[in-house]
Amino acid sequence: MGLSRRELIKTQAAAAATAAACGIVPASAQNVPVGDELRLKWDKAPCRFCGTGCGVMVGTRDGRIVATHGDMRAEVNRGLNCVKGYFLSKILYGSDRLTQPLMRMRDGRLDKDGEFRPVTWDQAFDAMAAHWKRVLREKGPEAVGMFGSGQWTMFEGYAATKLMRGGFRSNNLDPNARHCMASAAVTFIRTFGSDEPMGCYDDFEHADAFVLWGSNMAEMHPILWTRVTDRRLSARHVRIHTLSTYQHRTTELSDAGIIFKPGTDLVILNYIANHIIQSGAVNRDFVQRHVNIRMANTDIGYGLRPEHVLEQRAQHANDAQVSHPADFEAYARLMSEYTLDRAHEVSGVPKPQLEALARLYADPKTKVMSLWTMGMNQHVRGVWANHMVYNIHLLTGKISEPGNSPFSLTGQPSACGTAREVGCFAHRLPADMQVTNPEHRRTAEEIWKLPQGLLPSRVGYHAVLQDRMLKDGKLNAYWIMCNNNLQTAPNTNNETYPGYRNPANLIVVSDPYPTVTALAADIILPTAMWVEKEGAYGNAERRTQFWRQLVDAPGEARSDLWQLMEFSKRFTTDEVWPAEILDRAPEYRGKTLFDVLYRNGQVDSVPLSELGAEQKNQESRAFGFYVHKGLWNEYVRFGNDHGHDYADFDTYHEVRGLRWPVVRGQETKWRYREGLDPYVEAGSGVQFYGNPDKKANLIGAPYEPPAEVPDAEYDLWLVTGRVLEHWHSGSMTLRVPELYRAFPSALLYMHPEDAQQRGLRRGQEVRIVSRRGEIRSRVEIRGRNRVPRGVVYVPFFDASQLINKVTLDATDPISKQTDFKKCAVKVALASDRSGATAQTPPDPRGGPR
Amino acid sequence: MSATEDTGAEKQAERQPGWIRRRWNAFRNLPLIRTALGPATTLSLAFLTLGGFFAGVVFWGGFNTVLEYTNRTEFCIGCHEMRANVFEELQGTIHAVNRSGVRAQCADCHVPHDWTHKMGRKMQASMEVWGHLFGTISTRELFLNHRRTMAEREWARMEANDSLQCRNCHTAEAMDLTKQNPRAAAAHERFLFTGERTCIQCHRGIAHRLPDMHGVPGWQ
Amino acid sequence: MRPVFLAGSILAVSLAAAGALFAQDAPRLRGPEPFSLDAPAPPMPRPITNDVRVRRNYPDQPPLIPHNVEGYALDLNANQCMTCHARRFTEQSQAPMISVTHYQDRDGTTLGGLAPRRYACLACHVPQTEARPLVENTFRDMDELAEPEQRTGARGRR
Repeated sequence: MGLSRRELIKTQAAAAATAAACGIVPASAQNVPVGDELRLKWDKAPCRFCGTGCGVMVGTRDGRIVATHGDMRAEVNRGLNCVKGYFLSKILYGSDRLTQPLMRMRDGRLDKDGEFRPVTWDQAFDAMAAHWKRVLREKGPEAVGMFGSGQWTMFEGYAATKLMRGGFRSNNLDPNARHCMASAAVTFIRTFGSDEPMGCYDDFEHADAFVLWGSNMAEMHPILWTRVTDRRLSARHVRIHTLSTYQHRTTELSDAGIIFKPGTDLVILNYIANHIIQSGAVNRDFVQRHVNIRMANTDIGYGLRPEHVLEQRAQHANDAQVSHPADFEAYARLMSEYTLDRAHEVSGVPKPQLEALARLYADPKTKVMSLWTMGMNQHVRGVWANHMVYNIHLLTGKISEPGNSPFSLTGQPSACGTAREVGCFAHRLPADMQVTNPEHRRTAEEIWKLPQGLLPSRVGYHAVLQDRMLKDGKLNAYWIMCNNNLQTAPNTNNETYPGYRNPANLIVVSDPYPTVTALAADIILPTAMWVEKEGAYGNAERRTQFWRQLVDAPGEARSDLWQLMEFSKRFTTDEVWPAEILDRAPEYRGKTLFDVLYRNGQVDSVPLSELGAEQKNQESRAFGFYVHKGLWNEYVRFGNDHGHDYADFDTYHEVRGLRWPVVRGQETKWRYREGLDPYVEAGSGVQFYGNPDKKANLIGAPYEPPAEVPDAEYDLWLVTGRVLEHWHSGSMTLRVPELYRAFPSALLYMHPEDAQQRGLRRGQEVRIVSRRGEIRSRVEIRGRNRVPRGVVYVPFFDASQLINKVTLDATDPISKQTDFKKCAVKVALASDRSGATAQTPPDPRGGPR
Repeated sequence: MSATEDTGAEKQAERQPGWIRRRWNAFRNLPLIRTALGPATTLSLAFLTLGGFFAGVVFWGGFNTVLEYTNRTEFCIGCHEMRANVFEELQGTIHAVNRSGVRAQCADCHVPHDWTHKMGRKMQASMEVWGHLFGTISTRELFLNHRRTMAEREWARMEANDSLQCRNCHTAEAMDLTKQNPRAAAAHERFLFTGERTCIQCHRGIAHRLPDMHGVPGWQ
Repeated sequence: MRPVFLAGSILAVSLAAAGALFAQDAPRLRGPEPFSLDAPAPPMPRPITNDVRVRRNYPDQPPLIPHNVEGYALDLNANQCMTCHARRFTEQSQAPMISVTHYQDRDGTTLGGLAPRRYACLACHVPQTEARPLVENTFRDMDELAEPEQRTGARGRR
């Protein structure tokens, strides 16, 4: 084709030359594409993968995305994207996109044992509503639940939290972000009284040292890693210390790759605190003026089912979150147990590495940025680990200023914006407010124009508890949106799947693609994704970013926002609210939940005329008002003047995001520091104003061992995680051929000597077995991850190798976040099982050079 | 060093010969030594020659056994420095695990196969024993600090002998270009077959990780 | 080309027969059916090492790596990619030079060599294996939209 085309152009050029020579200019340049033919429509959007929040420019033409590239004007990434981001164009176009609702049916009716059949939206919603109403009537609000997402847009999260809490009166709403950064979110509140980091990405360009605690940024936050490496390679004095339980691409580009035994990061952190205290590096003035010292309850269990022996044995399994006021001496006494010798002994890290690390923190002249993700958050003592990092930053006063920054990275694109700020956790309301606080509930009821006393006060079921309650038949109506929890929850075969197939339960899954979770559901709703809807995400540095709907979703696929709002029309207040509330507020009688939640005179107050005439916006056109702007205007009332100020709606469509609090049009890069944060009073220097006394809480805690440790039979640590090319469960990235072919299936990374010891060769099929279950995988002894002896690593993106059948459903008892990084397994040749299935596995065929 | 110390050292040096000679004479006068150094008076010539021959055989055999023994990977990684650093890195690479299961041992690449060079290398190895005893690379950090020096020594040796140890297995004459990917085939044709370069100049860091490559030709 | 059509037609057929909407033998994308079933692990596919450049989907897509990069040094000591792709080595290596954007720092200033922020090559450029995609991707590039007559021809790429 190209050839013939070139020939054609040549001919035309010749013709044109002839024409020009004759003084004739052709009216149009025929087959040489010019002007409009080449023009694409470009719009901005944030990437819809990780929490970095890179800016992407999206090129559309004829209603389709034809190109994407990194947004040069986006502060976060300045034109760069990672390989996933560069292939965003293709995630919409997997040929198995869901385009119509599907319902398990038999004999024309919804039947859990039936086959999936296409149905209309009305059929699907009617079946759902009938079940929801029956459950609400028979069992009450605590039997309905929703599993949401840090990938929801802020509008969707806000609509969902209203529907669940204000509509169905249930706090059983939790996001998948629970699995991801609950430990970070909870510790922010416990320490500073306000969620999310005090610093921002600008710290990357100011720090002298980076310490990564359980974060493989090179693969999981590649663009932020470009900023770290940029700083490291541009300034000679800069150092990177990376702590991990195995070596990976990040340790390779670090000055020190510090490999510790799983779970012993607590010991290292406390050793650093001890070093700071012993070496006289405590910033006494800072601690005295800005820090309260407290001690945590210890022996707090592992978040397993209460009847589990480990919970029975734990002294404070039920009041794990409690801490007690203490003084500096008590804290120093506890820390003094964490000597260099002990830290070395327990963690296995060479002493020089430990000392060098401690010196970084202790040296007042070295600006340290601590970064962490899942290694520290997915940890049975994740909250403690988070505390311990803050502790060393607070002890030295290295906080809330450029370069001195304890910084929690997020895995979900809107973990901060949606799950945390909007309040999609089982215990939260918007703007850091808590469901257990009567004042907070009253504020929410006022802003939402709902009757007093309507909002439920009990903390709802968190992610892992939802699965347990589904299995136990206590949660019966369940809607999963924008995530693939059956693949990503722990111990799924025993604790998640049975709940989905429990005959008492109706499971609804909204997703663009037929995922593992969708296929285990009873109703699948086809969902619009990314730029098929207008949206807003909040990234890890408090940056709120908006985008427009750029293309239409295929077929009948609709956004989660439309689904939530449309579903709410099927309920009247009389059906779902208690009579005594309606007696007190009879004006709400007979109204639909849609009326009281969304057509409440606020959400519906922005006319369609504020939307450009050609601007796509499916939800607004469907409901007859500018839904997103209305929701936004109502939502921002929660945070404005409370340290959570946002800019106005239209501004966000212009700029490349702003970091809240946005006060008088100015974003805030560093919170809590006078001169940098407008909320800090003059003369105070530093104020952690999230807490009533404006001080941060330094909470001391000891080392406690993981829930499950390898023994003679299950002799290996299993660590799970992601890979660069696939995002989480791979539901989008596996459908992009280039990403799929780059990393097509999960592997078991194993030390060569561990493999040899078991008679395993590279590429052989093996069984990975834990006390919960087993899967089959293939041995990898080289490649990007190099695990130490005794540790194996398996990524979780592969639906055919569901490693979460093997993992343990232990959580941090305080944050309820799952520990996906530590459990015990054994590995054996797959064909060894009985001999009967002993098929010779195909040749490894690995790595010809 | 101060001047007084210098003079002290000189004085000591002056005194030393006398002391050494005295000890030497005492040694020479020991009865056993005197007998050993004197001519044989009671043994037959046959015994002496045959005995000497057999002793030589035993010695030579023993010597070679020791050489062979010290050529074994197990011996090399008997030292913690080798096991924790270079051997750890070797595992999983193409020279340890590959399609046909031919595995390179440490000595295959690091000890020449012919006798003279092998002896030379073994002499050098005594330096490494020294390094081991003095803990020159006893920690990972020290090892990494020394890596460039050690790597340069190996590169220099291989460049000097035209990558002899590579060629013990990989001969240019035996290469089938159709079995190589185009990139490798082109590079071999242009650089290897013409003798413009030797193996090690392109294939650095294939069995162990690289040192700081700053200033190494061909590297940034 | 054939597997793509095959996958497409399988999908079309299964969509038509609503009863077997997701009846697929390979649980690669959707998990085993039923969920609790033990699924075999697919063999590890070979890396593609043919050195043939792959067409980009759009100009800003980072080119794919058509060769094996296993064991390549990419650390503080060395960047092995640059031993061929750096400007000064491209003559001898005949490899494509890193793009001009790679010389620019965060502020857009052009530097004398690879910008430090671009050091981690594999964050954007990935090698490929011989694995065959599990489902077709119906993305159409700008040329296909601009010149619809090329669509059928363009499908058969790879």
